[in-house]
Amino acid sequence: MAKSDQSILKLSKELCNRLLSDLERAKRPVLYATKCSLDNSNYDHRLGYLTPGDKKVATELNVSSVKKMSRAIFLLEVLLRNIDTGAVNTKRELYYISKGAMKHDPSLKPLDFGDQDESDEILDFICEMLECYREELNCFANDRGGQTYSQQLVVTETLPDGDQAVVDLSRLGTTPFQPKNRPQNLKLSAREKIDFGLIVESEGTANTLVANGFTKRHRCILMGAQGVPSNAVRGWCKLIQDQLSVPLFFFGDLDAYTMQNIFRTLKAGSAASLIRNSDFSAPDVRFLGVLPEDIKKYDLNDYPVKENDAQEVRALKKATDALKNDPFFQDQRNQGLNAILKWLLSNKRRCEQQAYFSVDPRDPTMPEKIIIEKIKRGNYV
Amino acid sequence: MSKVEKNNRITTSSTAEYFAKNLQQVGFSSQTKAVLTTLKEAVDNALDACEEHGILPDVSVFIEKVGSGSLKNTDQIRIRVEDNGPGIDCEDIPKVFGEYLASSKFGRGRCSRGQQGIGISAATTWAQLTSAVGARVITKTKTMRKALNCLVEVDIKNNQGVFKEKQGMDWDRPHGTSVSFLVDGRLQLNGDAGLLNYLNGTALVNPHLKLSYQIPGIEPQLMNRVTQHIPKIPEATAPHPHTMKLGEFIAHSHLFGRVRVDNWLKKGFSRIHEGVFRELVETGIPKALFEKSVDALKDAEFKDLFSKLQHLKLMAPSTQSVMSIGEESFAKSIQRLGALDFFSVVSRKPVICDFKPVQVEVAVARFQEKALESDSSVQILRFANRVPLQFDKASCAIVHAIESVNWRAYGIAQPKNGIPQGPYIIAVSVVSPFIKFKNASKETIDASDELVEEIRRALIQAGQKLARYLRREVKANELEEKIRHIEQFCPILVDALCRITEAGEDQRKRAQEGIVKLLGRDAHTTQQELVHADAVLKKETQKEEDQKGKRKQDGKK
Repeated sequence: MAKSDQSILKLSKELCNRLLSDLERAKRPVLYATKCSLDNSNYDHRLGYLTPGDKKVATELNVSSVKKMSRAIFLLEVLLRNIDTGAVNTKRELYYISKGAMKHDPSLKPLDFGDQDESDEILDFICEMLECYREELNCFANDRGGQTYSQQLVVTETLPDGDQAVVDLSRLGTTPFQPKNRPQNLKLSAREKIDFGLIVESEGTANTLVANGFTKRHRCILMGAQGVPSNAVRGWCKLIQDQLSVPLFFFGDLDAYTMQNIFRTLKAGSAASLIRNSDFSAPDVRFLGVLPEDIKKYDLNDYPVKENDAQEVRALKKATDALKNDPFFQDQRNQGLNAILKWLLSNKRRCEQQAYFSVDPRDPTMPEKIIIEKIKRGNYV
Repeated sequence: MSKVEKNNRITTSSTAEYFAKNLQQVGFSSQTKAVLTTLKEAVDNALDACEEHGILPDVSVFIEKVGSGSLKNTDQIRIRVEDNGPGIDCEDIPKVFGEYLASSKFGRGRCSRGQQGIGISAATTWAQLTSAVGARVITKTKTMRKALNCLVEVDIKNNQGVFKEKQGMDWDRPHGTSVSFLVDGRLQLNGDAGLLNYLNGTALVNPHLKLSYQIPGIEPQLMNRVTQHIPKIPEATAPHPHTMKLGEFIAHSHLFGRVRVDNWLKKGFSRIHEGVFRELVETGIPKALFEKSVDALKDAEFKDLFSKLQHLKLMAPSTQSVMSIGEESFAKSIQRLGALDFFSVVSRKPVICDFKPVQVEVAVARFQEKALESDSSVQILRFANRVPLQFDKASCAIVHAIESVNWRAYGIAQPKNGIPQGPYIIAVSVVSPFIKFKNASKETIDASDELVEEIRRALIQAGQKLARYLRREVKANELEEKIRHIEQFCPILVDALCRITEAGEDQRKRAQEGIVKLLGRDAHTTQQELVHADAVLKKETQKEEDQKGKRKQDGKK
């Protein structure tokens, strides 16, 4: 659950006080960070997303860890200052802010970050220690994906100065609405009843569906995910689910990568982001397709997984591991998704979402018709 | 006789004809290799000659580009090698430089560089084929009043050396030889197959050599000898019956003429004594056979005797015929190649590998000026009978042995089953009167399991010695790093914590003292480890010194 600025400040001060007091007594201070990995992930279908287990990574102060600890406290000071002043930054900007601080104060030179990966690692460490996500520390990523179209949706945004901005998506024409990764500032309403929300893996295909009149013919919210959903897309879907209570469907490729890295992240979060999954996953979203049975039913063009494609081979290997170790795919409620993974592993074939365009090449609305038919017939997992 | 019959007639050709057509087999397979092989043959001959006569060798090498070569993309290069050796008698000069398989060392079972008498004649042939001039030789023996200046060529049809010019001249030295070849080729100075690698390698394994060289593109160099000790060439030992084949066994008997079989076996072979005769009798050889004259033996009797001998357990051949560089000289010599951080040298005792006496010596060193090249493979210097091996590295027994050692255990980076990495030089010298080369140009040693294992053991010993230095170095670096960390990060951490918690000066002081105390304990532990590593190093070095001293005393006795 999101933490307020005040609670972040309080937690940080408590942490620093503990460290200082240990040092005064010449006692080795230890920092505990939540272990963000699959072996520390729990899944409860009632919650619907992956949550962290009890495992913690302990960092004890010694000659080897003093550099990491010093870097963490240095960066924490910068972030607390940002919270205090309301300033926001990206990870890249934080890297340069650190560089600048070291330039102005040569005594900090030993902390210097060789590249952004090093400062990113320290930032993640701080988040895992405070059990917060970086947006709560005023560090935002570039917003990617999530272009949204609807003739019914109205978004009201509360700006930092308290003003409110109202965005009626039906008035935007061909311009999509793009969500920000601070969903708590948005309030959603519908001008008329919305029947469903459709999240399309490819933003290009989402745009095609809109251009062909999808949102004019159906009372819906249609968005493009642009591959692996960014935090903005994940938070946006969660917001739609919580505030509008409309059924959500995901339409993407039938392959192991999409199932694990895209759909699972959207629906239940990921092991790397255990701390933020509660606010950044939409457990109600359903997998509309492409389903294995669609290949035969619609005579879709599919093709074998290329043995020399490292990404596809890696995804299949990961799928084998997921069936054994991933609590999400092991849960009884997700046996339909589990079955798809097994089908992918045994058949070693894949089918892309755009294959629906092959069903009737002369009818540009054929994919739309199939999608609507699948929703109506409950042909999803 | 019909035309077809004429064409099918079997003819014989001379050895020289064979080699003239197949010079690639003896090291003349490319333009760069031709220059290196010519130089190598001349230097090897000079060193062998000096050692045979107990002379400390002074060898000077002069290489110059004279013009364009007659072959495409080549230069005409003059290679001149001068030595202070005994000189060559006039009648021997054509044999040495112009006749194939004319050798004073063939099959003698001694650790000389040259063996068959092919190399220098091949160099003359290459010069003759590419520049139409043979070998220019100036030589003077102690007994000659004037030096002989001559031009020798190979009569390829008859495998004979012939004088093309011959005249007396005054020479400013009591004895010595200067040989010069004008050949087509290209100069390659650096890299595994470079001239510098050959010259430095030769200096490394010949501590008694004073070597100077002048090569285009670099300053003239002089490498003084580091020992005045002339290596004693061990006497050749009689062949061991297990190292022979039946044909050789019979041919060997012909050298002895009319002697009794038991005398022939005792005098003509090593490791055969009365006990062996008794055992032979037990296996079914009639006692009377030993009393017969060797020339009266029939082929069936030779065969029976030979096969029974092969099945007997005989003492392994003597190892006295191998000559080593010696740990002390090797250690001094390696320092001629540059300033060293540290090095370890191992000289194994001679052993029998594949029924042949072999001695392996290894030096592992780290050079100061190469300290930054940490991710490239180590430099490997291979030697066989004190001659650098510069080609066909992958299939060499030495490289196989290096790859089989787990260098990571000694603190040296190594990809899995690969050549270790870092600013190190690994020099391995294999000495044996019967080295099994893979080809006639003697570029690589055949990787038999026994030999690879023997080299591997030497490398492991050298690695263990080196590890003591590296371990101490790692501990010293660790300590330095820890002390630096304490000095650098403690104030930064404490100050930042105090700013965030708004702590007072007293708290800051206490925390600062606390953290220094805490981390000081870590540094203290490392300091103790360093002291321990230091002590181990000193103890082992002292132990080695004591052993060396003891060996010297034993030698004097």
